[in-house]
Amino acid sequence: MEELLALMREVKPGVTFEGDDDLIGHGLLDSIAIVTLVGEICDEFDVEISPVDVVPENFKTVEAIYALITRLQEDN
Amino acid sequence: MGYTSFAYIGLLAVTFLFYMMLPLKHRWKVLLVFSYAFYLLNSGKLVIFILLSTLSIYLTGLMLNKLDDGFAMAKKGIPKENKKEFKAIIGWQKKFICVFAVLFNLGLLIFLKYFNFLGGSINGLFELLHINVHIEELKLVLPLGISFYTMSAISYVVDVYRGKYRASDSLGKVALFLAFFPHIVEGPIGRFDLLADQLYEGHRFDYNNLMMGLQLIFWGLFKKFVLADRANMYVTTVFKNYMDYGGIYVVIAMLLYTLQLYAEFSGCMDIVMGSAEVFGIKMSKNFERPFISKTVSEFWRRWHMTLGSWFRDYVFYSVSLSKTFMNFSKKVKSKLNPYLGSIIPAAVAMFAVWFSTGIWHGASWKYVAYGLYYYVIMLIGMIIEPGVVKVSEKIHLNRKAVGYKLFQMIRTFILVNIGMLLFRADTIGSFAHMLRSMFRGFSFAPLANGSILELGCDIKDFIVLAVGVLILFLVGLYEEKGRSVRQTVAGWNVVVRWVCYYALIFAVIIFGAYGYGYQATGFIYAQF
Repeated sequence: MEELLALMREVKPGVTFEGDDDLIGHGLLDSIAIVTLVGEICDEFDVEISPVDVVPENFKTVEAIYALITRLQEDN
Repeated sequence: MGYTSFAYIGLLAVTFLFYMMLPLKHRWKVLLVFSYAFYLLNSGKLVIFILLSTLSIYLTGLMLNKLDDGFAMAKKGIPKENKKEFKAIIGWQKKFICVFAVLFNLGLLIFLKYFNFLGGSINGLFELLHINVHIEELKLVLPLGISFYTMSAISYVVDVYRGKYRASDSLGKVALFLAFFPHIVEGPIGRFDLLADQLYEGHRFDYNNLMMGLQLIFWGLFKKFVLADRANMYVTTVFKNYMDYGGIYVVIAMLLYTLQLYAEFSGCMDIVMGSAEVFGIKMSKNFERPFISKTVSEFWRRWHMTLGSWFRDYVFYSVSLSKTFMNFSKKVKSKLNPYLGSIIPAAVAMFAVWFSTGIWHGASWKYVAYGLYYYVIMLIGMIIEPGVVKVSEKIHLNRKAVGYKLFQMIRTFILVNIGMLLFRADTIGSFAHMLRSMFRGFSFAPLANGSILELGCDIKDFIVLAVGVLILFLVGLYEEKGRSVRQTVAGWNVVVRWVCYYALIFAVIIFGAYGYGYQATGFIYAQF
């Protein structure tokens, strides 16, 4: 989880992601940030995220993003 | 048959009566029959194009289902080491079918909407290069709503390809999804997973749905007749004779056009959503108080939302998350620097989105410029963002302070208005002229001496517009706090509630911008 948070802070410096229950709704993650983050996640966690995975439910919270990564790692 | 015509209201009423008379399981057929009746009345034999689109995506969906089923069956008997290879083969077959269907639908749109524009542009290029070839102009008529239903058709095929849901085996269901008469002319651009089941299942008569639907329709009519059509009188005078005006005349024309477009398009969406709501069908919203946006990207998340989300899901993510792009990004990161590695792929994908958004609005270079205008603003914003964060921290600027947010809103409002000026101007040249003319000899004198009242809107019109804008502002303010004005009004006691409804109805009748020989202005987005 800490690794993910570090990536997120790299993509959006100065933003507090922890504890926010709607990162997209609150404007902390827009589509450009998501694409950048997805690129970083794919490199760092060795997973493949397709457009169908990029839905608000999977990027709503830090926990949801982590759950997506875990699921994709298990699928591999 | 426009959405503000009596013919449309009549069609809606007749559809509603038949819908409620039939058994629940057959009610969707009423919607289908009347949707096609609406289409035939508006577009005649051009119905063939929507039929072709419907058939193409229906058959594509079935083929994709078949491939998915075949793979699910076969993979049980395949050794693990061959599974990946088999999956890849099926994947390629699915991709081929999907791409074919997308190109077919896009091809129809491009041919009908852009052939003459492309031909004209190529002819211009040939002339410059002294090549003696000329592409003849074709007499092409655009089928009703082709820009909107093509987007829905493509989203259906791509979603099925991506495995978001299974394709429908009912041709009627697919046909109704594309042709549903309230959304065929101006959207909102429907998504099959959100809309199709609602259209297909029979809804019982519900007084609340009927009242809420009618309430929304009248709210839409208020925006259209009282605000949009009134603002149009001034806007048309200035934009038609733009060489004669400058300074504050043009500034007001620009502001009033922004109001006109918002009141008209969001008003139309209210009529559309209200029409669907009387049947118990909830459609995706297209507007969410766009003028309180703090950035241009936020504005586009609140303005024409179904178009923005379509381009995000089917162009932006498709391009930026493709393997080619991911690899390209990795190369840039390792060979140039990590910052550029994250910026460049997003910048390229954004270009695709904004070029498409621009040209989607119309076959002219002006619309391309309109899309690229927003692209440049967003790109600059994206590039300077890390620097702005650092500088703000250094000078201890609180970016969450109300004052800073207000500054952001005003800045976005100005940028959006300049975009609107480009959108409304006849050509890029006339836009440039009008933009320059605003600053030439700017003076408030026309406000003081009353000459501003001679361009189509008199003092009463301006008062009505000001009150209308105030009402929109207060409604927006109320709803931004997560409350619904419609629900609140519906919850009031019967006397107050009906006073409110009658006030709305009479406002439309009394304050609508009618006159001798009046005809409602056509909806701007219907031409796209």
